Amino acid sequence: MSDKPHQNLAIIGHVDHGKSTLVGRLLYETGSVPEHVIEQHREEAEEKGKGGFEFAYVMDNLAEERERGVTIDIAHQEFDTDEYYFTIVDCPGHRDFVKNMITGASQADNAVLVVAADDGVAPQTREHVFLARTLGINELIIGVNKMDLVDYEESKYEEVKSEVQDLLNQVRFNADDAKYIPISAFEGDNIADESENTDWYDGEILLEALNSLPESEPPTDAPLRLPIQDVYTISGIGTVPVGRIETGVLNTGDNVSFQPSDVGGEVKTVEMHHEEVPKAEPGDNVGFNVRGIGKDDIRRGDVCGPADDPPTVAETFQAQVVVMQHPSVITAGYTPVFHAHTAQVACTIESIDQKIDPSSGEVAEENPDFIKSGDAAVVTVRPQKPLSIEPSGEIPELGSFAIRDMGQTIAAGKVLSVTER
Amino acid sequence: MGDVAAKIKVMPNGPEVDLDELQELLEDSLPQGAKIRGFERDDVAFGLVALLPTVIVPDDAGGTEAVEEAFSGVEGVESVSVENVGRL
Repeated sequence: MSDKPHQNLAIIGHVDHGKSTLVGRLLYETGSVPEHVIEQHREEAEEKGKGGFEFAYVMDNLAEERERGVTIDIAHQEFDTDEYYFTIVDCPGHRDFVKNMITGASQADNAVLVVAADDGVAPQTREHVFLARTLGINELIIGVNKMDLVDYEESKYEEVKSEVQDLLNQVRFNADDAKYIPISAFEGDNIADESENTDWYDGEILLEALNSLPESEPPTDAPLRLPIQDVYTISGIGTVPVGRIETGVLNTGDNVSFQPSDVGGEVKTVEMHHEEVPKAEPGDNVGFNVRGIGKDDIRRGDVCGPADDPPTVAETFQAQVVVMQHPSVITAGYTPVFHAHTAQVACTIESIDQKIDPSSGEVAEENPDFIKSGDAAVVTVRPQKPLSIEPSGEIPELGSFAIRDMGQTIAAGKVLSVTER
Repeated sequence: MGDVAAKIKVMPNGPEVDLDELQELLEDSLPQGAKIRGFERDDVAFGLVALLPTVIVPDDAGGTEAVEEAFSGVEGVESVSVENVGRL
């Protein structure tokens, strides 16, 4: 399986629109359901005197398997198609997990948005699409699910498709590239085989659409950005910063700069999995050692980059945010904690520049007095301590953040532009 | 809403920390409702080894914050970060 290129695939959509069923169906159709689950079913079916394979049964048992954590790396489910090896990122429903999605290691490259044909665009559909946009999802495949519940009616499919198109336009997702497929995850329509129930549809089925996703390129061409997680003093070596490379390449001998601490030097050695390596790339967890850097010179939240193209330090930045949950309203002067890469910095929302109307995507109000839960807005932010952050248009991996206050994730956003310090 | 599995990366505060002992201390520190479903270890660099417990928390419990805070308070822990999360 591992000789194929890898893709992280997020399954997003409103609760009860069929995300889990779709995951189960994908595993089933690609032969990724553990053999003993199928075997167990076969035995039980024979005992009861009925043959055949019931998908619902597999679904139940998969859930049970995962609860017990027996067979599968429990945070991840995997399957492969002709072209790719997929890891499914099945997003938790609770909003407080959004922080993990932004600062975590396995960012999804592409996503399948599940929308139930009998329900259409629902609140979480909207929220997930915005988050997908913020998290840097490239391509979106829209599965108009539960077609069996609307008698496979083309008009119903078209209705939901146009609702989703409106939504994508609102958040400025490239709506032209998005693919729409009428499916039933439960019945298996248009997942692995063309369905006879949807004669009116002649586009790609889901597995075809997954196969034709563009290959995701690791961001090696971008300048080096390595957020520092921890700084150690190792006897015999000296100061060792540790972190995961987000973009670019770290080579021995590189002249690097740490921002916002604003110190730098030459990289002497790089280690990964306890072995010395001449270079390291995006996704690699490394420890390294830099000539002339002491333990107190750098700290968690610093970003390491090339000395001649150092990480950007923001005096202020403008960002697009969506407010997910806030007990009252957010006004200028509000100072919650921003979580971006390994940094956690209190930042003041200096001004609320525009409120975006969620139903039209247009600017609803210039310089509104406040924003509240469900609102999308453009805001200007002033970090209370130096913060290294990048415009998401230039380095998306360093351009998104979660906003937390009162023990909750209240908003997520991405950086539009940075005014450098 | 079901449960969520989170793979959490715990960095010890030096290469000399006893990881078996640290593993036990992490188990003991868990907030109510959360449980650990196994540990992995990852060699990082210069003798540093990360512990990667997979922690199960209810989806409606509001994220991994309580677990992260509990782990951060354990002696011998340098930092705690969530590697990835997924629904069970």
